[in-house]
Amino acid sequence: MRIDKVLLVFRKDWLEVRRNWQIMAPILLVPLIFCVILPSMMLLIPGTSSSSNGVGSLIAVLPEGVRSEIVGFNTNQTIAYLMLTFIFMPFFLLIPAMASSVISSDSFAGEKERKTIEGLLATPLTDGELMVGKMLVAFVPSMIVTLVSFVVYTAFVDFLGFSLFGRFVLPTINWILVIFLLAPAVSVAGIAVTVIVSVRVKGFREAQQLSVLIIVPIMGLVVGQAFGVLLLVPAVILILFAIFVVIDIIILKIGLNMFKREEILSRIS
Amino acid sequence: MSGIEAEGLIKRFGSLTAVDRLNFRVDTGEIFGLLGPNGSGKTTTVRLLSCLIAPSGGSARVAGFDIVKEPLRVREAVGVLTENPGIYDRLTALENMEFFAEAYGISNKAERDTRIRELLEFFDLWDRRGNKTGTFSKGMRQKLAIAKAVVHRPEVLFLDEPSSGLDPKSAKDIRDLMEDMSRQEKHTIVLCTHNLEEAERLCSRVMIIRRGVPLATGSVEDLRRKLHGAPELEVRLEETNEKLLKAATKLRGVNAVNVRGGNSLAFDLDDPEAGTPDVVEGLVKAGARVKSVNILRPTLEDAYLELTKEDQA
Repeated sequence: MRIDKVLLVFRKDWLEVRRNWQIMAPILLVPLIFCVILPSMMLLIPGTSSSSNGVGSLIAVLPEGVRSEIVGFNTNQTIAYLMLTFIFMPFFLLIPAMASSVISSDSFAGEKERKTIEGLLATPLTDGELMVGKMLVAFVPSMIVTLVSFVVYTAFVDFLGFSLFGRFVLPTINWILVIFLLAPAVSVAGIAVTVIVSVRVKGFREAQQLSVLIIVPIMGLVVGQAFGVLLLVPAVILILFAIFVVIDIIILKIGLNMFKREEILSRIS
Repeated sequence: MSGIEAEGLIKRFGSLTAVDRLNFRVDTGEIFGLLGPNGSGKTTTVRLLSCLIAPSGGSARVAGFDIVKEPLRVREAVGVLTENPGIYDRLTALENMEFFAEAYGISNKAERDTRIRELLEFFDLWDRRGNKTGTFSKGMRQKLAIAKAVVHRPEVLFLDEPSSGLDPKSAKDIRDLMEDMSRQEKHTIVLCTHNLEEAERLCSRVMIIRRGVPLATGSVEDLRRKLHGAPELEVRLEETNEKLLKAATKLRGVNAVNVRGGNSLAFDLDDPEAGTPDVVEGLVKAGARVKSVNILRPTLEDAYLELTKEDQA
């Protein structure tokens, strides 16, 4: 595999993606909601944290180590702390999942829809170079958006929350593991699912609708975290990471086997 | 050396045989026409020969490389203009050309820039190089698609309806380019077209296929003769009568005479051009007043329609 050719595909697709507002708008808007609007509502609007229900059940199942972090906090502080450092955490897995599936839908199925795929497949780029270049163009921006969102969120929470908590509460080890281990694994899963879907479907919309199925298990994590059923603590994060890596390898292998010129062309004519 | 050699090439999609035992050879520097109605297997043949799909049977060599064993080498050596221009609307003309030039292996930037400028100027697109191609007209897009197909000076070029959507001047420019590439640079060109006049003008040989089966292969002249016989001499007279007709049949070199509408006589001659003066002189001596004389040659269109009439029914 020639790295310069992989980067050539990456550059071409990135130019296309960044000029497409149908792609860029959701990729930028969703993180904006998660990293600015949610913490602002929690910390700036009076009574938001005190009106949050159901946090009591979460406190009851918190591990000892976490409980020690909230010792001395009043109810408002406890609720705000748990929301900002625990409950909002899985939302940041939605960012790479959504961004990677939207970009890769456009990159793989979008080429079919715009009827540019045959000219691309006629070039002497290998299947592997095309596939890796297109996967990179989905992976790199989705991870950049995730990391930037994490940095902005951390800065926002620490800046606005300092007066409430009397100290900086982020980043925690949980967040670092989620952002640097789980998010990339989720992003790869989103891309791999989209590759498989894109080979089979004829258009971008169809690919996008099917590939967002990757969001379903992440929504499960959001609910699990909110109700204290599945808390994203280091041991759980590492187990989830291992599960995602296995899933990624399996789906990627299927995707690589399916990413064949003939198979792709048979779906456009 | 042959630009293309195909032997018993077969492509099946499930129970459908899209290409059925295709045998043909295209010499280096030749412009070869691939003709046939929609769904006849032209596009599948081009996809097979440009290694976009694998054959179900048979073999072929393109630019000296085996399409099954050396697909990457084949793709490096060929340029393909597909049915759709296949250019990226959100990229500028220059960005499109740069991408394809690099993809086809022109890694030297100076060489790439020179070649791109040369092509964009040839196609009158240099002034629009910074515009996104989504704003281009159909003709401009087609010209850019041809430019990207030839950017790496391919040994073998597959062109699917190259003059589609082009104005007469641009269509002529493309034909001139193809002739130059074929004659001066010795590129082998396979032209898929429905424009039979264009095929007749450019192609040294053509193959007519229907439902994946080759019906006829040869020079345009060969096909015309095979299907419609030799050219005829048509003489239009002021008036005809029995006496003139009898005299006409006895003229030297005349094999047969047919009466056509509008006082016209069609002469079957061994060599219409050489025989014309004698026929005209003989008719005038017999008292005829000649209004016009034409040599009627059956066109490639006549041959094509004859061969593909089952599909038109």
